[in-house]
Amino acid sequence: MVHRLTLTVATAALLAATAGPAPASAQELVFSSWGGAYQDAIRQAWLEPFMDATGIEVLEDTGPETAKVRAMVETSTVSWDVVTGGGATLMRGVGLDLFEPITPEMVDQSHLYEGARSAWGVPSEIFSTVFAFNTETFPASGAQPQTWADFWDVETFPGQRSVYDRPQTVLEAALLADGVALDDLYAVLSTSEGQDRAFAKLAELKPHVSVWWRSGAQPVQALASGEAVMALGWNGRFQAGLDNDLPLQMVWDGAIAQVGFFMIVKGAPNQDAAVQFLNYVAQPEAQSRFHQFIKYGPTTPQAWAFIPESEWALLPSSPQNIERSVFLDIEWWAENDSALMERYAAFLQN
Amino acid sequence: MASTVAPSAGLRLAAWAPLLAVAPTVVLLVVFFAWPVGGLLVNSLFDGGFNTAAYIRLVEAPVYRVALGNTLMIAGLVTALSIVMAYPLAYLMASTSRTMAQLLLFVVLLPFWTSALVRTTAWIVLLQRNGVVNDLLLGTGLVDQPVAFVYNLSGVLIGMTHVLMPFVVLPLYAAFRGFDRTLAQAAEGLGARPPSVFLRIVAPLTAPGVVAGGLIVFMNAIGYYITPALMGGPGQLMIAQLISYNIQENLDWAMAAALAIVLLATTLALFWVFQRFFGVDRLFGSSGLGSGGGGPIGGRHGGGRWALVVAGLAVGVFLIAPILVVFPMSLGKSPFLAFPPDEYSFRWFINFFETRKWLRALGNSLEVAVMAVTAATVLGTLAAIGLSRLGGRLRSVLESVVILPLIVPVIVLAVALYYAFAPLGLIGTTYGLALGHTLLALPFVVITVRAALKGFDPNLELAARGLGAAWPTIFRRIMLPAIWPGMAAGAVFAFIVSFDDVVVALFITNIRSRTLPKLMFEGIAHQIDPTIVAIAALLILVSLLVLLLNLVLTRSGRR
Repeated sequence: MVHRLTLTVATAALLAATAGPAPASAQELVFSSWGGAYQDAIRQAWLEPFMDATGIEVLEDTGPETAKVRAMVETSTVSWDVVTGGGATLMRGVGLDLFEPITPEMVDQSHLYEGARSAWGVPSEIFSTVFAFNTETFPASGAQPQTWADFWDVETFPGQRSVYDRPQTVLEAALLADGVALDDLYAVLSTSEGQDRAFAKLAELKPHVSVWWRSGAQPVQALASGEAVMALGWNGRFQAGLDNDLPLQMVWDGAIAQVGFFMIVKGAPNQDAAVQFLNYVAQPEAQSRFHQFIKYGPTTPQAWAFIPESEWALLPSSPQNIERSVFLDIEWWAENDSALMERYAAFLQN
Repeated sequence: MASTVAPSAGLRLAAWAPLLAVAPTVVLLVVFFAWPVGGLLVNSLFDGGFNTAAYIRLVEAPVYRVALGNTLMIAGLVTALSIVMAYPLAYLMASTSRTMAQLLLFVVLLPFWTSALVRTTAWIVLLQRNGVVNDLLLGTGLVDQPVAFVYNLSGVLIGMTHVLMPFVVLPLYAAFRGFDRTLAQAAEGLGARPPSVFLRIVAPLTAPGVVAGGLIVFMNAIGYYITPALMGGPGQLMIAQLISYNIQENLDWAMAAALAIVLLATTLALFWVFQRFFGVDRLFGSSGLGSGGGGPIGGRHGGGRWALVVAGLAVGVFLIAPILVVFPMSLGKSPFLAFPPDEYSFRWFINFFETRKWLRALGNSLEVAVMAVTAATVLGTLAAIGLSRLGGRLRSVLESVVILPLIVPVIVLAVALYYAFAPLGLIGTTYGLALGHTLLALPFVVITVRAALKGFDPNLELAARGLGAAWPTIFRRIMLPAIWPGMAAGAVFAFIVSFDDVVVALFITNIRSRTLPKLMFEGIAHQIDPTIVAIAALLILVSLLVLLLNLVLTRSGRR
């Protein structure tokens, strides 16, 4: 049943693709994301090919704040069909019943990475929180940092650090630096001793942190300006630095993989078109396209068949990187974020 | 509206006129501000019975107390710094030639032609460890270690004072212009030394302007969160950051409502304490933002004057410093903003003109600003005139209502406005946004015009009426010239508020109606698009051209 329905959808998409020019009474789809290079990449990799393939006209909007989605849903003025967001956004929205459930009949997610699947959204890409260091400070001729333990080791690798001003991914990194194995991470972090341990480890590094960053561009800027010699940050931003010849190198050991999701807003006006679009995005071939525009990895292992191996080293979900990564546990964070955020903010005050 | 009331309508209508003048503003604020914001706060707190959990956490988790303390301390420091720095600059503006004054006014308003993002980026480029200032200090051997200017308290103070100081400079400049220059000269002639001239003559006479400006700065500073987040460190966490986090990311609106109510209560309490013990009314009582004698003040004040001039110029340099960095930065080739850039190119300027979205957003911004400035100036002036004729308790209550939009964090207003506008079909329109900006800008106009009215002698109006002048004539010939500087300052502030707003635009506009600041903040979680620096450079150039044109025209007009 599941397979037949998926097949039907796939066949429909195929038929539409081969049926020549789009019908005059074109369907519409309103897609809202965060603008900038990210939305440019989505447009090129998925929106435009999807329009060509189906004849559905995609209208774009920007700024899908969950608070705005909530206001739309509560006032019955939903004008967006598909919105994008990270794991935290997804879980908060689910808590407030802002998104349509994504059943296996609507989108088959069985071929996606297990840590990326969701019953409320379709994973669109995988990015990672890694750390990068300045290769002029730590050139290949000498010792170079390789693990989170090295990120914490200010004796061997002296210099200022830059760290996220939120607990997400930072507490994980602290525990990994303290010797916790990837597989045990959330078991340890779930105990209050484990949380104390993470904060104690972070307290060691705190005197050496010059920039507690808030927006993704800051850690790269801090490395570029010399404000820090090592920074925790998102691979896509460090990649932009690399592309502009900044002297930096990313460390993938202990990378914390995170998932970007596409969600259907509750009561979205064009749900059929939205389901078609999410199906389109989840296909391995479409998934293999995104990295050409922005260095994020596909959400299905089947996509690697379409991606040249020379690209794998810098993509978060590649076979060589995914096995030394851990998926950020978004359900765990949904439960613990408020309390940990309070503690983290208080910790940074002293 | 008051001005259209016929004089023949007699005493009964005249008694109602002040209320009629205040009415549009109050109705607007009640319908589109107090009602939606109050509704949002109450709903969030009473969601399923009275939600005490938020208050318990507020008391139990230390971070909230710390953030409240930070907020009040930073707002207080920024206000004090703004006032101290504004005095020499405003004095310089008032005592120099007309051309020079215009130039300085231009300098004061410069920060507003750049978005908050550009300003903070420029400051960071100047002040960071390897920044221009540290290079200078190290190069001249003044220090042997880079000074940590940013990502700490000094970063926040620099960034916020830079952008908020103009709110004191303008009213203070107006006060200085209305200042009877002979007073200071007489005092000096009688042997008063500069400190006592300042304390006994300058301070009391400029007090209304300073109080109006300081109030605006303090209230504004309390709600700031973008500048502290980017230029401060975690030690400078402010309450508005926590409110915005709870609304936008954590979606814990009960917590956000609790925080907003605590902030609101604290601010109002401070406002009332200040009014009671320091007598805002008494301060307001003396002459203020009037047109007064006009003309340059001062003359031969000797050494003290030179110190003031040097201090004034130093403040001018402070205002202009980050703007100067903007030009070379906008010509850099790398998307990682550096100063000086390694390679130069016009790519960001080309990007601005080739990508339609930027020009369109600029058009939207200007359209919204024109609507908001017009509405806020007209309504705010009427309300200020009305308020000045009301007495006692009613006036205090209405004044508090009018000031509310300054105190409530903008993010709360933005969300509340969505709920109010959605049923009216105003979401996604420039009209909706202009209405939102009018609400935000009204307090500025009311405060500055109220201050100006303090310097208006009511006997003039009585005399004119006794001579048989009709209200419209009285308004145009007598009142308008007196309050014109206050109106102008209010209109400028209204423009600034509208042109710089990100938060309301985020909720009210869509991709077609989005404004320049909203577009600038898009994708900011990922990157800063250097096109925004090019836009800032262009806006500064355009305003510079307008200034020069104005100078040339007035000069040739005078000949």
